[in-house]
Amino acid sequence: MKNDTKNIPWHSRFDLPSITFILFLLLALGSLPALEGSGRDLDYLGNFLRFLDQFFPPDWSILGQTMEGLWETIQIAAISTLLASFISLFLSLAAARTISPAWLVIITRMILNMIRTIPSLLWAILAVVLVGSNSLAGVIALSFYSVGYLAKFFSEAFESADLKAQKALQSLGANRWQAFQYGLWPNLKPVIWSHCLWMLEYNVRSASIIGYVGAGGIGLHLKLYAESADSWNKFSLVLICMLVIVTLLDLTGEKVRKSIRAKLEGNKVL
Amino acid sequence: MKPQESCLLEVRDLHLRIEDRWLARDLSFSLSKGEFIGIIGSSGSGKTTLLRAINGETKAESGSIKIGAESKLPVGMIHQDLELAEGSTALNNALSGSLLRHAWTDTLFGFPKEEKEKAIELLETLGLSRKVNQWTSTLSRGERQRLAIARTLLAEPLILLADEPVASLDSDWAIKTLDLLNDFAKQKQAGVICSLHDPKQVEEFADKVIRIDSTNPEQWKVEELS
Repeated sequence: MKNDTKNIPWHSRFDLPSITFILFLLLALGSLPALEGSGRDLDYLGNFLRFLDQFFPPDWSILGQTMEGLWETIQIAAISTLLASFISLFLSLAAARTISPAWLVIITRMILNMIRTIPSLLWAILAVVLVGSNSLAGVIALSFYSVGYLAKFFSEAFESADLKAQKALQSLGANRWQAFQYGLWPNLKPVIWSHCLWMLEYNVRSASIIGYVGAGGIGLHLKLYAESADSWNKFSLVLICMLVIVTLLDLTGEKVRKSIRAKLEGNKVL
Repeated sequence: MKPQESCLLEVRDLHLRIEDRWLARDLSFSLSKGEFIGIIGSSGSGKTTLLRAINGETKAESGSIKIGAESKLPVGMIHQDLELAEGSTALNNALSGSLLRHAWTDTLFGFPKEEKEKAIELLETLGLSRKVNQWTSTLSRGERQRLAIARTLLAEPLILLADEPVASLDSDWAIKTLDLLNDFAKQKQAGVICSLHDPKQVEEFADKVIRIDSTNPEQWKVEELS
């Protein structure tokens, strides 16, 4: 017994998670110089308290125009999510291993990876260059950005879908489209809707910031207040409004997704 | 030999096996219009494999399965694992059995009214009238089994293959359901082949019984029941 324990090689106790954890710790320790900041002797706490003081009380006089900006943000998010969902449905068919040939899957997935690599703010800069500084730029930017994610999620949904009902309908005489519409799509629809809702929430958050580079929405208000002196109380009102809207959307989305999951798992939840 | 006019299906010298295990050798039988055939055998004896071979899902080792004397007849199968669209309502799942009668453009935005009425009536007969708009995933196993039966009956096949269709039903519903399948065979002049576990049910409903025993693949028996 004793000999057996001795024969176990020392490195066998290191599995992939423990190796990556050690590497992460080494990287974090090696990154300590990032904490140095400017190197000047600044009163960090005092600065923070002064800054916080300028935030409150929020300036409620700009509530009307803030709500207008937020409404534009929601519009940008909604239309870009809708556009991206349509485009993603077709792209996801090309990216699903169970549906398309390997060469098409590889090419489509490479394109989707490239789209995801570029952050939404960069897409917004590109769109502003293309169509100018307006909400259309925001729609274009977020549509591209969302396609990268939604097409990936949808293709995974297609790949993991149960094909038995579809095949059963084909064996009962339905053609391929009918078998897809009534055998496969009902199982996919709730999952796909759940992904769209998540993307909508995400896009409302993204649409709030892309205005910073001129792509419409509330981001432009944030930029103006951040750059003008003594406007931090206006800035804080915009942040509060954004927080309320995003939280409400998150809670609603989560409730709907939870209900969808429960129903698919066979629980009677409305 | 030319099959008779009333003959819907003729199985001749069928050899069935799964990997190295023989399930049946030289199995022969025929199915006529209005006939109800029961298949009986222990679990793993090859009842499902035989039904799947007739439905064209599994290839037999040798022998012939002739469906229809001249032209191919519509075949419908109630699978043991039901194969329903879980995210669809019970009504739409039932209605999807009728798809073969319609062009895809006719069912793109829903089903014709007369099909809906027929489906609701059948779901009522099967005790599912209150569940029509409920997601299939939220139905019990017994309800889902009855729904799968409704879907296949709405396809109106001339050969109906049923793989243990009453396995999850209580005795009352099992009898009602087998009655329904029997009536379907007699009224539509269709043939039903149904695998069952309960010999009493076979005796009560079947016109003919196929007894298979994979421990002795040559010793299958086809018996007429009075």
